[in-house]
Amino acid sequence: MFRGFRPGKLWSALFNSYGFLFLAFLYMPLALIVVYSFNANPINMAVWTGFTLDWYATIFGGAGVEGTFDVAFTESPERIFEVVKNSFLVATTAASISTLIGTATAVALARYRFAGKRFYQALLLLPMLVPDIVLGIALLIFFVGAGFHLSLLTIVIGHVTFLSSYVFVVVSSRLAGMDTTLEQASADLGAGALTTFRRVTLPLIMPGVLGGFLLAFIISLDDVVITYFIAGVGSQTLPLLILAMMRRGLRPQITALAVVIILFSFAVATVGMLLRNRKS
Amino acid sequence: MIAGDTVRSRRRRALLLLLAPITLMLGVFFLIPLGIMVVYSFLEPGLYGGVEWNWYPYNYGRILGWPLNDYEEFDPIYLSIFLGSLKVACLTVLFSLLICYPAAFWVSRMSERRKTFVLFLIMLPFFANLLVRIYAWLLLLRPTGFINTLLQSAGLIAQPLDMLFSNFAVIVGMVYIFTPFMFLPIYANVEKLDYSLIRASQDLGATPLQTFLRVILPLTAPGIAGGSVIVFIPALGNFIVPAFLGGSKVQMTGNLIERSFLQSRDWPFGAALALLIMASVVLVLMIQFTRTARAQARGAV
Amino acid sequence: MKRLLTRIAGAAAILMLSGHLASAEGKLALYNWGEYINPEIIDDFSKEFGVDVTLDTYSTNEEMLARIQAGASGYDLVWPSVHMHDIMQQLGLLQPAHPNQLPGWDAIDKAALRSHEDPNGDFCLPYAWGSVGILYNKTHIPELKSWKQFFEYAKDNPGKVTMLDDLRETLGVGLIMTGASVNSRDPDEIAKAEAFIMEQKPNIGAFRYDVIPLVTAGDTAASHYYVGGVLNTLQNPELLGFVIPEEGATMYQEDVCLLANAPNPHNAKLFMQFLLRPEVAAKNSARLTNGVVNTEAVALLPEELKSNPSINPPQDVRAKLQIFEDMGKDLRLYTRAWDRIKTN
Repeated sequence: MFRGFRPGKLWSALFNSYGFLFLAFLYMPLALIVVYSFNANPINMAVWTGFTLDWYATIFGGAGVEGTFDVAFTESPERIFEVVKNSFLVATTAASISTLIGTATAVALARYRFAGKRFYQALLLLPMLVPDIVLGIALLIFFVGAGFHLSLLTIVIGHVTFLSSYVFVVVSSRLAGMDTTLEQASADLGAGALTTFRRVTLPLIMPGVLGGFLLAFIISLDDVVITYFIAGVGSQTLPLLILAMMRRGLRPQITALAVVIILFSFAVATVGMLLRNRKS
Repeated sequence: MIAGDTVRSRRRRALLLLLAPITLMLGVFFLIPLGIMVVYSFLEPGLYGGVEWNWYPYNYGRILGWPLNDYEEFDPIYLSIFLGSLKVACLTVLFSLLICYPAAFWVSRMSERRKTFVLFLIMLPFFANLLVRIYAWLLLLRPTGFINTLLQSAGLIAQPLDMLFSNFAVIVGMVYIFTPFMFLPIYANVEKLDYSLIRASQDLGATPLQTFLRVILPLTAPGIAGGSVIVFIPALGNFIVPAFLGGSKVQMTGNLIERSFLQSRDWPFGAALALLIMASVVLVLMIQFTRTARAQARGAV
Repeated sequence: MKRLLTRIAGAAAILMLSGHLASAEGKLALYNWGEYINPEIIDDFSKEFGVDVTLDTYSTNEEMLARIQAGASGYDLVWPSVHMHDIMQQLGLLQPAHPNQLPGWDAIDKAALRSHEDPNGDFCLPYAWGSVGILYNKTHIPELKSWKQFFEYAKDNPGKVTMLDDLRETLGVGLIMTGASVNSRDPDEIAKAEAFIMEQKPNIGAFRYDVIPLVTAGDTAASHYYVGGVLNTLQNPELLGFVIPEEGATMYQEDVCLLANAPNPHNAKLFMQFLLRPEVAAKNSARLTNGVVNTEAVALLPEELKSNPSINPPQDVRAKLQIFEDMGKDLRLYTRAWDRIKTN
């Protein structure tokens, strides 16, 4: 028996060429940034005037680029390091907390029967479906009204509210596909609920938990809109800095920074992918 | 009996413990903020930000037709901005659909190993920061950008095309950003297609077009609907893409909301606009939900 | 895998700790416009007084006000425009820093005490002023003199000019062109200004702030922009020009103010005193290419700035510059007009 869509040769060729166009659409813009980031032309990035690593030097604190156009207001390496530090701090904290909360919720909904389960399922989907801008301003109004100081802490709280849902979805799908006989066997052998969870359930769902963590981490690291509304004193994150830089205009330094970000995100995504594949 | 009771009460305690964090988190930092926003949208704007605690239905009035006449005759401008955002969001959905639909079939025909790899490739750009992806399109579309430079040096155009700062640029940018959202639901659907039905249709002498319209399209409708909803929601409230690729000449509701909070000091008006977006989202979700429920009921019969 | 999680958490903790350790004893937190202070001045101050200075930036007065009202405590000094200085003082967000008792105060141009609320300089120190004119690319327009010429060029080359994405500034140009005050509260005058901008809108490429690279690269030929753009014209005099249009223009002035809940008022006053030094004011202005309010600093400016008609304009040009006042509730007249312009 064969499964699947088997059109004729002509259709096959058409589909394949379309597929390559599709991938080109996805990757051409990113590839372009990479090329531009090595272009020495400080004024018009589309015109190649020579190879340079200067723009990377402005990020990592190598030699400055005195003499080029509007060197006055490139961001300093210290400043970039500071916001990167903020971003990682927020992403690690928010992802860790949401992993705990999301996993606990997923276990509760998968392993217990109780009234209001459907309510929880719907409630957990909501933060992912509410438009970012709505959640952002709702949190802003709330934090201001409740007398919170806008800071890294409020950013973490804001991120956890929607990241928990993402972790919940990832862990739930892992739990749903899981055989419960092992857990039953453990309970039958007299292990307490906690022991069973620690010794049996947790190891089995670990790839899901870790996958959820990574997803939460990268979403938090990238979040612009919600962070934009609830960031406060000295709590600028990397995306906010890039937003501010882009508002001031297209400059080669942003291009180089963008390449670094692309590479880092791709590395994290690849790790996540490898983890997922290892489980199966 | 007694032992059973303790097991049950222990399970109950465990359940409470497991649910407490999410209940607290979503209750305090999600439901209450949304509730406060609803309240704010009915209050009078404070002169310098914040609110005065007076009943004030004119925030909605300015949008829908009963403004406070001290300042203005009613002018359906905010409604037309909102309708404009709806249009942009719908076009975004349409174009992402046109782009992703054939691609889903392309991927579904691959061997398992290639499939995993190509799926990964398609998801990967999604992980690059949103701003970075918008930035890339700025570089592509600007008058001295990549596309214009290419076309000009090829001698195809004399003057650079005005692509940036238009509805066109906004839609292209959003389609690019939301592609994975549209692709995945459609792909999940196409992947599970029952091809025996398609072959049956062909065997019965249907033309390819007939087969597509009568068999393939209805079978993939759930994926199309799912993807459309997931793209529509973030597209409607977006303000970053219009701010950069629309050059602030394209104004969407998201931009108005942002400005109400951070520039024109009119929080209640911004809250009212945000709730208008929220209402459209809820409406779309409800339609989608009843549709799926009905489809499931039919499937059960 | 559990170990991986622990390790990540550990790394986070270390990052957090190192952040605390790095902070020196003396601190000062500045909240300023983007690109509105010479970074070298901050470095010089840090070194001389051993104070650890942090700088956050905003892009509109309203954004700054919103964030300060949103409980953004922790900042010491802010840089509101004059009308925002009035608002903030009325709202009780500022405390008197008494810059008028600091050495060097006598050099401050008394015409720069523009605040209605603070006529003697008890609260804030006048910082810098500037005009909003047109930055243009000379390969497209050899010499630009007026708004009339700007809009005529736009008519012949639609899409090649930009205006600021700022309701007061851009409607202000409309008001100037229709002969009204930029602080008009008359709905008819505002309607006329709106109609004027509306008529130009098809020819305007975009409403944006981030225009310097676009004008430099020639994506746009001319852009409504702040006098700070003169820095770029000085670096690239054959390519770029900046002009205060003949019909008149708006001007702005910012004052340095001490927040009521500033955690480091002492260091903040030290910083004000530092800014009062003529050589510091001159060094700052050379980078910002803004007008100086320190009469003794004028002499210390580089010649190219001293003689620049946009930075140090002659009296007849100064007379044509108008400064924004707070509109209170009437701001809505402008908001509404601006929304119509952006939508239709």
